[in-house]
Amino acid sequence: MTIINQVEQLITQNKVDIFLGYKALDGHLIPHGFTRDNLDELKDLQIGENRYSLEKIATHLTEKHPDIKIGIIARDCNQRALNLLYTWNQLNPDQIETVNVNCCPSPIKPHGDCSYLEPKHSGAFKKEHGIDFNMDTNTLLEDYDNSERFSRWMYEFSKCIKCYGCRNICPVCFCTECSLEHPSLVEPGTLPVEIPIFHLVRATHMAGRCIDCGLCEDACPSHIPLRLLYREVNEIVSTVFNYSPGGGIEKSPFTIIGDKVELKPKPMDDQIQGKK
Amino acid sequence: MDCKFVPSVCSYCGTGCGVLFEVIDGKINSTLPLKSYPVNQGKLCIKGWNLHEYINSFMRLKTPLIKEKGKFQKATWDEAIDYSATQFQKIKQDFGPDAIGVLVSAKITNEENYLAQKFTRAVIGTNNVDHCARL
Repeated sequence: MTIINQVEQLITQNKVDIFLGYKALDGHLIPHGFTRDNLDELKDLQIGENRYSLEKIATHLTEKHPDIKIGIIARDCNQRALNLLYTWNQLNPDQIETVNVNCCPSPIKPHGDCSYLEPKHSGAFKKEHGIDFNMDTNTLLEDYDNSERFSRWMYEFSKCIKCYGCRNICPVCFCTECSLEHPSLVEPGTLPVEIPIFHLVRATHMAGRCIDCGLCEDACPSHIPLRLLYREVNEIVSTVFNYSPGGGIEKSPFTIIGDKVELKPKPMDDQIQGKK
Repeated sequence: MDCKFVPSVCSYCGTGCGVLFEVIDGKINSTLPLKSYPVNQGKLCIKGWNLHEYINSFMRLKTPLIKEKGKFQKATWDEAIDYSATQFQKIKQDFGPDAIGVLVSAKITNEENYLAQKFTRAVIGTNNVDHCARL
């Protein structure tokens, strides 16, 4: 059964009120909400390499219409984001139907069809002074000592134009009050932004949250390897708590801290030392 | 319930980044970068990301205003254009065409800029035409 048939069935059998997919408009593949009222447009439904955070749109829709049933074209990254949003009570799994499609490679799912996040090009200057997009967390630790790693990250952070794009596009950024907008953490109206605080505040908040979809890196006008940064923080979460965000619908260790005192995180230094 | 996505061009500066408006129930809810747009390639600056805020702002002017006796009064477009045309003609008669200057913008299209300089040179009769990118 083709995807279009699947979606048509979901809509006509009243399983969903709106289906979030993609359609081509003026040569651009953009998200589109398919409903019973525009069923004839369903023939234009397409899947391409453009990815938008459909689950974030779903949270916006649920805010306005709490009882709405939503269908979503789900790559693996969408599915991980949905799982995470379920566990953080931002969406109700009973109100979401997914139609799964092939996806991009990620440490959680090594094989995928989407070439969108295949190795990215890093220029010579970036390779010499900054951090190559295609590095993984292990080689980063092996190749550079602490001070070099720090100076390379600082070079990357210094390029930040404080567009907040990484936060705005992030499917798992749903807090009503954002630390990055807190005037005592991030001074409003000043550029350049204070580094590395700005990026590390976001990085710590991504621990146990980031589902490694890579949308932030795509949206970053300054080519900061954000995906790698958040992978690094999440590797700590994974080694200490054995938890990978979005992998399933089990609760994040950070939601149960305080209730279960027997949870003893190992000191972070040992983790990093042990790996070297 | 209605949810659609409308591609557009950012109106903040002359770069012309592609944006995508997320419209829920007829109201623009948020702005996203248009991923496949060749100019910005799925990236935006902070102004572009917040484009929907001025569209929905309660401070946004929706009608032209004419200043009468030191106070702005709401007017229709016809009234405003009539008023401007009369005043321009008056200034031109009293002080000559060089008393008028026109500043065009990088935010409007090439064609609109062309029309603006044509209007300045052929209708008003002055070479006082410049654009915001020189500021």
